[in-house]
Amino acid sequence: MNQNPTQNQNQQPSDGGKHDDDAALTDFLASLMDYTPTIPDELVEHYLAKSGFQCPDVRLIRLVAVATQKFVSEVATDALQQCKARQASVVKDKRDKQQKDKRLILTMEDLSRALREHGVNVKHQEYFADSPSTGMDPATREE
Amino acid sequence: MTNGGGESGREHEQHNRMQRISSGDEFAKSIAKIAVVQVCEIVGFQTFQLSALETLSDVAVQYIHNIGKTAHLYANLAGRVECNVFDIIQGLEDLGVVQGFIGASDVDHCLASSGTVREIAQYVTETEHIPFAYSIPQFPVVKDRKLTPSFWQRGVETPGEHIPSWLPAFPESHTYAQSPISNERAIEPHTDMIEQEKQQRNVERSLYNLQRRLLCNGLEGPSVGPEDADKAKQARESNPFLATPLQYGETEVSHVALPAKLSSEATARNVVAENHVLNQSSLLETFAPAIEAVKSGSCESEEGRKEILLNRRPIVQFKVGTAKKSFGTTFHSSPHNKGFQKTDSWFERENEKDVKKRRAEKILKDSMENQEELAEL
Repeated sequence: MNQNPTQNQNQQPSDGGKHDDDAALTDFLASLMDYTPTIPDELVEHYLAKSGFQCPDVRLIRLVAVATQKFVSEVATDALQQCKARQASVVKDKRDKQQKDKRLILTMEDLSRALREHGVNVKHQEYFADSPSTGMDPATREE
Repeated sequence: MTNGGGESGREHEQHNRMQRISSGDEFAKSIAKIAVVQVCEIVGFQTFQLSALETLSDVAVQYIHNIGKTAHLYANLAGRVECNVFDIIQGLEDLGVVQGFIGASDVDHCLASSGTVREIAQYVTETEHIPFAYSIPQFPVVKDRKLTPSFWQRGVETPGEHIPSWLPAFPESHTYAQSPISNERAIEPHTDMIEQEKQQRNVERSLYNLQRRLLCNGLEGPSVGPEDADKAKQARESNPFLATPLQYGETEVSHVALPAKLSSEATARNVVAENHVLNQSSLLETFAPAIEAVKSGSCESEEGRKEILLNRRPIVQFKVGTAKKSFGTTFHSSPHNKGFQKTDSWFERENEKDVKKRRAEKILKDSMENQEELAEL
C-alpha cells in the first residue's frame, strides 16, 4: 500500500490535529447517512447480529457495509488485473482461437490468486466441474 | 452481468437452489451474491464463474462476520455491551493488518485518525454510488414472543412459598381445576349411548313381536281358543325359548314367513267362522281392506281352507323336527287360489309317486327274496 508520510506526521504533533481528526470522523460518519452502499444494510445487520454485534446506530452498520464493499471491490480489482494480465500474455496465434473468451470473466483461478494477497487461502479445486466446458478449459488456460 | 460459466449456468443456479433449500440462510446468501455481483460489475467484470462468485460472496459474508466479532470483542474488553465506532475501527484495523494500512506501524496512533477509515472515506468519494438493486424487507422475521407474565409482574402472590415470584404465573384456575360439571359431561355421552341402544332394542323387539303376532294370528286354527293364544304369545314375547310346546294336532305355529295375503286370508276365515273378537282386533282392523278384498275375491273358501290345512301340516313337522318327509314349502309367490290348487296337485302327484315307488321297491324286494328262497330250494 502506498504509505503517506505527511499524513502520519500530521496525526501526532498537536491537539488541534486530533480535533480535526475527530471532526473528519464525525463528518465521514454523518456523510454515511446519505450514502447507501451496494451491500444492503439488512444483510450487514443480519450477519453482524449473528456475530454478537449490538448497536442501534445505522451509521456504524453503514461503515461496516462500506468497509466490506471496499474489501470486495479490492479483491475484484486484483482479480481483474490477474485476468487482464493472463489474457495479455496469450500468444498471438492462439488469441484468435480465444476470441470468444475475450470477455472479462471472474474465474476461480484469478479470484484465488487475488484472495491469497488478502490473506484468504482459497484452493482451486482441480476437478471442480463449473460448466460443461470445464474439462477442456485448462489446456488453453495454462499458458 | 452475465454468467460466464456457459449456458448451463442458470440451470446450475436453480439446481443449487433446489438442493440447499433447507440450509435456512438461503435468502441472506443470495442477497450477498447479488451485492457481490454488483460490486464486481462496478469494478469492470463482465461475467463470472458461478464457483468464483460463490467463493467471493462467502468471503464477503465472512468479512462482515469477522468485523462484528472483533468489534464485539473489543467492546466487551472495554466493559461494554454495545459497540461504538472505535470498536469497529479497531476491528477493521485488525482485519487490515495482513494488507497493511496507513499508520499501522505506529502502535499508539489515535483511532479517530485511523488510516483504514481514511481509506474507506476515500473509497466512498471515489467509487460510483450504486445502491442495491432490490428493496429488501427486514429479515430474518422474528415474531414477538409474548411471554406469560410472572407472579411478580401480575402482582399475584405465589400459591406456595417454595415457588419464587419470578416464575411465570399459573394460568387461570378454570383452565385446569376440576369441576363437577365437567365430570358429568364426561359421563353423559356414555349413558346417552346406552339409552339409545336400549330404545333401539325396544323398538326392534316390538317390531319383531308385531311381525310374529301377525303370522301367528294368521295361522291360528279354529281349535285354539283366543285365551290360549294370548298366553302363548305373552310367553313368547318374554322369551322365545319358552314358547309353548306344540301338540301335533295343533295348528298354531311357526313364525316362518308366510305370504301376507295367505295369512290374512286365514284370519279372515277365522273371523267369519267364529266371530271371535280377539285382542289383536286392531291388527285385523288394519288389514280390513285386504280382508275385504280377499273375501270378495275368493268364492270357493271351503276348498281353499282345506288346501291351507294341507299346507300347514308339513310346517308343523318341520318346526318340531320329526323325521317325516315334508313337502311343505311355505313360500308361495302366488297367493291366488289357482296357485294353491296347482301346489295341491303337485303335492298329490308327489304322494302318488312315492306310493308307486314304495310299491315298486316292495315288489323288487319280494322278488329278490323269492329268488333266494328259490335258489336255496
